[in-house]
Amino acid sequence: MSDHTALLAQAQEQVQASDSLDALKGIEREYLGKEGRLAELLAQIPTLPQDERPTAGREANRLKQAIVEAVEVKRAELAEAGIAAERSGDGFDPTLPPPRTERGSLHPITQVTRELEDLFQSMGYSVLDGPEVELDYYNFEALNVPADHPARDSHDTFFCEGDGHLLMRTHTSPSQIRAMESFEPPFRVIAPGKCFRHETTDASHDHTFHQMEGLVVDREISVAHLIGAMKTLLRGIFHRDLEIRLRPGFFPFVEPGFELDARCPFCENGCSVCKKTTWIELLPCGLVHPNVLRAGGLDPEEWGGFAFGLGLSRLVMLRHDIDDVRHLLANDVRFLEQF
Amino acid sequence: MLISYRWLQRHVDLSGISPEQLCNDLTLSTAEVEGLEPFAPQLTDVVVGHVVTREKHPDADSLSVCRVDVQGEQTTESDLLTIVCGAPNVEAGQKVAVATVGTVLPGDFKIKKSKIRGVASFGMICSARELGIGEDHDGIWVLPDSAPVGQTVAKALEIDDSVIEIDNKSLTHRPDLWGHRGIAGEVAAIYGRPLKPLSLDWPELGQEAPFPVHIDSTACSRYLALPIDGAVAEPSPAWLQWLLLAVDQRPIDCIVDLSNFVMLDLGQPNHTFDRNVLAPEGIHVRMARSEETLQTLDGEERTLTENDLLICTGEKPVALAGIMGGESSKVGDDTRSLLLEVASFDAVTVRRTSAHLSLRTDSSTRFEKSLSPTLPDQAAAYFARLLSELQPNVRFPSPTTDLGDWQDPAFTLALRPERVRADLGAKIPDSEIISILERLGFEISHEGDSLKVSVPSARATKDIRIERDLIEEVGRIHRYDSIAEENMLASVKPPPHDERRLLVRAIQDALAGGARFNETVGYTFIDDALLEKLAMQDLPHVQIQNPVIQAETHVRRTVIPNLLGALETNRRLHEEIRLFEVGKGYLPEKTNERGEPTELHLAGLVWASPPPLAKASFNENRFSQLHGVVHTLLNQLKVKDFVWRSAASVPSWAHPAKALEAVCDPEGEVLAVVAPLDPGLNAGLGLDGDLSSDVAIAEISLDALLAAPHRASHYQAVPKYPGIKVDVAISLAEDTSAQSVEEVIQQAAKAQLAGVELFDVYRGENLGEGRKSLAYHVLLQSENKTLSDKDEQKFLRRFEKMIEGIGGELRKG
Ligand SMILES: [Zn+2]
Repeated sequence: MSDHTALLAQAQEQVQASDSLDALKGIEREYLGKEGRLAELLAQIPTLPQDERPTAGREANRLKQAIVEAVEVKRAELAEAGIAAERSGDGFDPTLPPPRTERGSLHPITQVTRELEDLFQSMGYSVLDGPEVELDYYNFEALNVPADHPARDSHDTFFCEGDGHLLMRTHTSPSQIRAMESFEPPFRVIAPGKCFRHETTDASHDHTFHQMEGLVVDREISVAHLIGAMKTLLRGIFHRDLEIRLRPGFFPFVEPGFELDARCPFCENGCSVCKKTTWIELLPCGLVHPNVLRAGGLDPEEWGGFAFGLGLSRLVMLRHDIDDVRHLLANDVRFLEQF
Repeated sequence: MLISYRWLQRHVDLSGISPEQLCNDLTLSTAEVEGLEPFAPQLTDVVVGHVVTREKHPDADSLSVCRVDVQGEQTTESDLLTIVCGAPNVEAGQKVAVATVGTVLPGDFKIKKSKIRGVASFGMICSARELGIGEDHDGIWVLPDSAPVGQTVAKALEIDDSVIEIDNKSLTHRPDLWGHRGIAGEVAAIYGRPLKPLSLDWPELGQEAPFPVHIDSTACSRYLALPIDGAVAEPSPAWLQWLLLAVDQRPIDCIVDLSNFVMLDLGQPNHTFDRNVLAPEGIHVRMARSEETLQTLDGEERTLTENDLLICTGEKPVALAGIMGGESSKVGDDTRSLLLEVASFDAVTVRRTSAHLSLRTDSSTRFEKSLSPTLPDQAAAYFARLLSELQPNVRFPSPTTDLGDWQDPAFTLALRPERVRADLGAKIPDSEIISILERLGFEISHEGDSLKVSVPSARATKDIRIERDLIEEVGRIHRYDSIAEENMLASVKPPPHDERRLLVRAIQDALAGGARFNETVGYTFIDDALLEKLAMQDLPHVQIQNPVIQAETHVRRTVIPNLLGALETNRRLHEEIRLFEVGKGYLPEKTNERGEPTELHLAGLVWASPPPLAKASFNENRFSQLHGVVHTLLNQLKVKDFVWRSAASVPSWAHPAKALEAVCDPEGEVLAVVAPLDPGLNAGLGLDGDLSSDVAIAEISLDALLAAPHRASHYQAVPKYPGIKVDVAISLAEDTSAQSVEEVIQQAAKAQLAGVELFDVYRGENLGEGRKSLAYHVLLQSENKTLSDKDEQKFLRRFEKMIEGIGGELRKG
């Protein structure tokens, strides 16, 4: 019997001392395996006298149970210790950088244009596209700016070679006439796009820039409606209510014409964006001139409208604090990948 | 345009209205005020000094040592400042402008205590030039004796002023606002104050024969000529000089200054000739002859055209009408006998001439706004009266000559008060409408429900035309910022389905998203040199007549040049570049009936990185991968049944042998082109040496995509039974196409074919000369059962036999 006690004590000691699941498995194999020490013991039983065999069998089984139990307890202990060790996070460096995953990017002008398109579409506006190489008729003539009108001076136009009827559009306003030609009133439309002015390029001017025209044609449209629509628009752009003011502005295709100023969203008492005035000049707008309605085939006694122009390039610059307009069209990946 | 606050006060009482308030109200009712500056602030920093004694400097003959009183009353000897002065005209007893120690003069010049040849000096006696108010630097500026010692010079001379700058653009439509009187009229209307009357009475005119004038062009609707004798070109009185200085005009002499004053006050340009150089036959107004020349006052020789209007005497041109006088008839210092011209010239004629000569003057700027032809006699009378006040010896020997075919443009308009309220969206009572219009100089009478409004001449040339113009007048004086917002009554329809815009967005999202491209927006004008590098210079382009940058005269046909032009600088900074742009191109060779060039809506892609390594697998190159990107994009866009084939027409930027195009219909529009960059172009684009690059380009036509047939998005049942994957490798002759192998796979697999994917292309000695190996994953699947090894064997046996038909051999192992 003392053989058994010694064997169990030895097994228990070994199990207790094992420090890994692998080591435990080895010990298990050594005692309980097909050719283990317990198997040896069992193999001796048939050699015992008949009457001792049952007792020996029971004893051997008890011994086996005891070893199995010790192994299981140890196994659970080790497993728990293993989880605990993993959870301790030893050797973990939280400052290791993640692997670099490159991504693509949408141009900031695209992003702002889309945002505005979605905003306007939610208010029932359609989006109209217009050509960059434009006819004088749409860019000036139909917009109440006949040849030799002094207002043409401030437009600094790029003219195309040929008979003088083609130019690079100086604003998105030609879309007003194109919209009247393609939609049945009443309608609401916006027209984002590229425009061109013949001027020397510097940090705040580029000869190519982006604008967005807006036009609403309906019966009984008033200045009060225009103010309401512009407030809604600014709420959509700046995500809060901004105080606005309309003041006279001269654009031959609207009458009356306005400049819309908004309280500077960036300061309380004046900053560089508002040139210390607390107002920023945001967009020109006005009631559509009766001559423009007529050019678009509409009767100004029956239909009215208002129009506005948003400087998309300027909005992009305001939004991202871009200090030089020339970054926008420079195709520099270091700029593009930031958006 | 600059407006002097003090000058305005000649016309309207501004008491209680600060310059700041005035600017704000002008901005909200009339025109944009761009700036407000104190006039000559340095004159509030220097003080009136009295030169008590003046002695020669002990060590320098040209210097004086002065003792100057700058305190006035109760000065003691010890309070006097010692100032060393170099001016020849300094004398004891003079009143002078003194900059004391610490004062900062224009040009950031700070006065310090200094020692000049051993004598300590405590300030500076200033010249007009040092104070930035004149050119005269022969000596110090001597002030009138009446100037109180110790006061600031500005206060002592009563020239405190504020200068208001109005944005010219916001006055484009207001010919009446190009003078102080006009702005004063606005101020009067805004504040409801009266405009002070202006005396336009003629001085006494003599009875000699009027000066002969002959008008020979409709571009001159009125010409008024007034001979003047005995005028002296002496300096103007101080009040006139200061007003001119305030609005940045340099005083010259009495005649020139008055001429400017009248223009800046009433807005009517005018001109004085030396009457001695005018021929006996007088003035002849006519159009120039082609190539005729005239030397203008600025010394330039101007070459004219038949569209330019000239003032001549006899045959000889003496002035460019409404723009600038001629050198030959300039009024000199000794000229005593003058001719004043005040005329009405056609706005368009003046504008065209001024534009083609690039000669813009204060005069042309005003004429091109369409001035009222009723102004010349007022301006002439004003000039004559002021001149006779300044120089009582001046005589006007004859009555004015006043010719021309002009008509008073004043007219009447009907105004419906209801319409005013409807258009403005504000309940403005009739009484306020009438009051505003009357304050602005309109006369009102009632006519049924509407008002009859007389438009004054000065507003009637261009500015006020229709009822809506009057509504604007009411609105701006009532003030737009007092109109409450209102919501539009909804007549909103959902916007129409906009396929083009959805397509643009889908392309942008796919490329910037999964494909990881950076979107660019490029210039429409392309540099000539870049086009040449891309061998595109001979293609027809819309050309710009007046480019900003001389070399940028071409309007792009496609977005590809922008993308390729951006490669070199970007590749210097990045190993790999993936760019795309959705934009427009223009083809001048195809125009519509209105003459508009064809507009293409395009997406361009470029992918560039260093050349692939030798061991790179068959599709590890930019061309294969960009091909994959575009193929996936077309699939994602649900383009139905498109195929790739060798490009029928290869763009100049594309590899001549490897360009592929996608089409739905073999005869139809090309949807997309994909190609490696033509290897001949790399060096020109800077992509050689260290920047040597593997470049692939694609161009997608949005117009063709919109026209292409699209797959219906019908759901397909998910397979019930698993498929089996069979790999086959085939050895083939080099010129046998992958497409023919795929056709064989299709035939051999029959209806069981569920997918084919090429995964390797291999060339090696073991295959033999002129042979290659293609390896495919083939997916077989059945709708009725799970396929077994037996099915795989059947497929392989069929395939092995069939592939022999195209000279292929199934490779085993
Ligand atoms: Zn601010």
